[in-house]
Amino acid sequence: MWDWGRVRFFWAEVVQNFTRNVPMALTAIGTVAISIILLGVFLYLRTSFDSVMKTLVDQVALSIYLRDDARPGDVRALAARLAADPRVDSVRYVSKKQAIEHLRQTLRGQFNLNLLNTNPLPNTIVVHARHPADIPVLAQELGRSPAVAAVNYGQGITEKLLRAERWLSAAGLIVVGLLLVATALIMYNTIRLTVFARQREIHIMQLVGATGWTVRWPFVFEGILSGLCGALLGLTALALVYHSLAPAFVVNLPFLPFHPTSVSPLHLSLELLTIGVLVGMLSSLLSVSRYVEVA
Amino acid sequence: MIVFRDVSLVYPNGVRALSEVSLTVARGEFLFLVGSTGQGKSSLLKCITREVRPTDGEVEVDGQALSLLRPGDIPYLRRKVGVVFQDFKLLHNKTVWENVAYALQVTGARSRDVLRRVPRMLDMVGLAHKSKMFPYELSGGEQQRTAIARSLVNNPLILLCDEPTGNLDPQTSGEIMTLLARINAKGTTVIVATHNQGIVDRMRRRVVRLVNGRITHDEERGRYHVGLG
Ligand SMILES: Nc1ncnc2c1ncn2[C@@H]1O[C@H](COP(=O)(O)OP(=O)(O)OP(=O)(O)O)[C@@H](O)[C@H]1O
Ligand SMILES: [Mg+2]
Repeated sequence: MWDWGRVRFFWAEVVQNFTRNVPMALTAIGTVAISIILLGVFLYLRTSFDSVMKTLVDQVALSIYLRDDARPGDVRALAARLAADPRVDSVRYVSKKQAIEHLRQTLRGQFNLNLLNTNPLPNTIVVHARHPADIPVLAQELGRSPAVAAVNYGQGITEKLLRAERWLSAAGLIVVGLLLVATALIMYNTIRLTVFARQREIHIMQLVGATGWTVRWPFVFEGILSGLCGALLGLTALALVYHSLAPAFVVNLPFLPFHPTSVSPLHLSLELLTIGVLVGMLSSLLSVSRYVEVA
Repeated sequence: MIVFRDVSLVYPNGVRALSEVSLTVARGEFLFLVGSTGQGKSSLLKCITREVRPTDGEVEVDGQALSLLRPGDIPYLRRKVGVVFQDFKLLHNKTVWENVAYALQVTGARSRDVLRRVPRMLDMVGLAHKSKMFPYELSGGEQQRTAIARSLVNNPLILLCDEPTGNLDPQTSGEIMTLLARINAKGTTVIVATHNQGIVDRMRRRVVRLVNGRITHDEERGRYHVGLG
């Protein structure tokens, strides 16, 4: 059962430590805020960059050109195979007629297609893969069907694009990981200093009979509170900057990996808030535990 | 109540603070621990609260061998033993009232009891009117009295006072000693480490002298100069 007297006691301790050590509390909060801003900007850029890359990669499609003289049985077998293949996301059939119609519209009279007396375009199946990386393998497999004249997915370029995407995504992950570690260390160090400054206090608490957890709890709450306040402050700053600058960026610098619709601000905020609170809490707990005697 | 059996204490830096100290203090006894500076008085008291751990020998408090204590038990030992530290050890960011209350609150006391006992203690040491002040706003004597109030707020079985009159004028010293005698009369075992000849000679209680970490004299109804010829 909850003992409200105890809760009130711990809470009073936390409030007191905050209000009677304002500079120290502000240092901790400020550090968390700056760390969160840094992290936020990076996470945002990475996510939107990733989504730009993904859009690009998602455009990779496999065109299967069918032989004009393909037997209906072979075509049906090919279609069934595509329908059953788990790697395949979507299949679209473009007939010779549709293809020439499409071409006609694209060219808009710059070239009179009526001069051709036969339609040179093949019947085509356009395949999108669930994972674009599967496309080269798919192309190779499907190319062996007797109904297929040729396959095309921008061989060469597509492989390079896929490789580049894998690399950049991994590099981004590493950078974010390192940044996360770095900011966590910065927060930890600041909070550790605020706890260090209260070593004497911790010692005295124990001398008058406080148990380890009686000493630790207020510090843990304080860590949570610092993390929360700092993260909220940082998020406020980020939100202000985002709302005043982002639209201008998108309009004026469209080549930047800025993709406001691809990043959910709510999701990102929750992530940052969680990071702030967790790091704040753990930093406090680790720091205070070093001074809680285990003799 | 307190038993020392061949207790020796060597600090990590090699200083030998106690050598084969054997001492028995009965429940309800009142004892002066005397000896010039650096002879080991504070060190002996610190063994009782497990602030330090003897290198050799055994200390027993209230029937409990301290060497067998697990870390989790230490806070409960300390709640049985009130201590007035030589350097007071008040919390700087808490008021007089909060300092005294703290020792009670950490034991899980209900706020009703805190509200009842803290003012009573402050009244007893004559600090009720300064309860909202911070330690740095107090004189040395007032800090000392705050420390005394804190040590007693828990109703401890044992009270250890390290130089409790160090900063007090003779009149106030006398009052504090009267207070300690009263607490002792109610059953609390009291040990007072001091250089204050006046109070020792006036009270005529058991006097134990430490020289170089050894007990050289132990006398019922003794005087400050026991063992000094
Ligand atoms: N934490 C410590 N580390 C190393 N040596 C210590 C420590 N505390 C005390 N000493 C040494 O132990 C010896 C006894 O010190 P202690 O504090 O017990 O003396 P005391 O009798 O209380 O002196 P005083 O009357 O000045 O308070 C001294 O030589 C002191 O230098
Ligand atoms: Mg001393």
